Amino acid sequence: MNRRDIELLSSYLDGQLKPSDSVRLESRLSSDSGLRAVLDDLRAARGLLRQLPMRKAPRNFMLTPKMVGKNPPLPRVYPAFRFVTALATLLLFFTVGLNFLAPQMASQGPAFGMGGGGAPEVFSAQAPAATEAPAIEAPAAEPPADLAPLPTATFSIEENARELTTPMAKDGVTQEGGLEEPQVQSAPSAQAEAPRPVPPVWQIALASVALLSALVMLMMRRLAADRWRRK
Amino acid sequence: MDEQALIHDAQGGDLDAFNTLILHYQDSVYNTALRILGDEDLAADAAQEAFISAFKSISGFRGGSFKAWLMRTVTNACYDELRRQKRRPTTPLEPDTEDGDEMDSPAWLADPSMSPEQEAEADELEHALQHCLNNLPLEFRTVVVMADVQGMDYSEVAIAVRVPLGTIKSRLARARLRLRECLQGFTELLPASFRLEEGSNA
Repeated sequence: MNRRDIELLSSYLDGQLKPSDSVRLESRLSSDSGLRAVLDDLRAARGLLRQLPMRKAPRNFMLTPKMVGKNPPLPRVYPAFRFVTALATLLLFFTVGLNFLAPQMASQGPAFGMGGGGAPEVFSAQAPAATEAPAIEAPAAEPPADLAPLPTATFSIEENARELTTPMAKDGVTQEGGLEEPQVQSAPSAQAEAPRPVPPVWQIALASVALLSALVMLMMRRLAADRWRRK
Repeated sequence: MDEQALIHDAQGGDLDAFNTLILHYQDSVYNTALRILGDEDLAADAAQEAFISAFKSISGFRGGSFKAWLMRTVTNACYDELRRQKRRPTTPLEPDTEDGDEMDSPAWLADPSMSPEQEAEADELEHALQHCLNNLPLEFRTVVVMADVQGMDYSEVAIAVRVPLGTIKSRLARARLRLRECLQGFTELLPASFRLEEGSNA
């Protein structure tokens, strides 16, 4: 009796053999008393196991919401709303950023392109400051008897300072105080005139979608939690 | 009971639907755990864990035999319990005799309403069988419990244990053979109709 025979007998007992295998085994069983005895033993063992009493469960295994975790099960569409909220919020931030940056980039573009923008003037303004510096120090080193050069030197300092802080100012000695205002006003007006890449209506729509979707999610969570509490 | 509808609802998070399924299957699940673990308290714990785990993972059920799927969960819970027992061995409920052997039916666990003799008569077959089941290797025990105690067919057992059908046939045959050999030591305890023939060695 080998392992293969035991498997055949066990499967035969359960009716799991192919008809051809069954016929072959039955012919062997009719002539082999040892094989029959093993089959009887296996049948008896199986019969004993089937006789085992089915015990009743000692307690009820029904689950409570607490047993399966604190979070109530959310509707299947919940992830879709979460995705929509995240996407709308992301797009909203993107469009706000785009609208904020686009006018600035538009104003910087021509300055670099034309070659006569502010940056070169900064260098031109710095150059005189470097050359005139000795002129400032020179009168200070002289005895105070000769006061004539002082107003000139003071003027030079103020002019230099003004030119450094407002590089756009070019002819400024006599237009003192009147130079900065037009420039301060001109920058916002340029920004206002520049077209925004994303119309505000789109931003409002995105904000509304994000807000509504978030509200729906909140309602879903509350309803699910209420339903669980009632159980 | 419309099982498919209940499963569908449970997959949507309906705990009531799942509890209806529990009521239907809890005896089977508990008995499977009891025969695999051989201990009532451990079996109850494993059954509870199995149902919790089943509810949490029911969205992964893709059809087929729900009982087989549930049995896979309870088998895993039993294996976890056995692993826990191995890591943290506890004092056995059955006290040792003076010789150090475990007593099969300790007197202090007996039902006081029954005499010791009646208790022994009522439980002797079950004890003998459980003793033989406990002596089987775990993978054999699981298969024989599902096929012969629970009456599941081979394909269901294969799904539950996640092994090929051929392996199920092989394990079942060897488990029955070992049980036969073990039960021969309890011949005097068994009913006459179930007495196994002696001398038929495989």
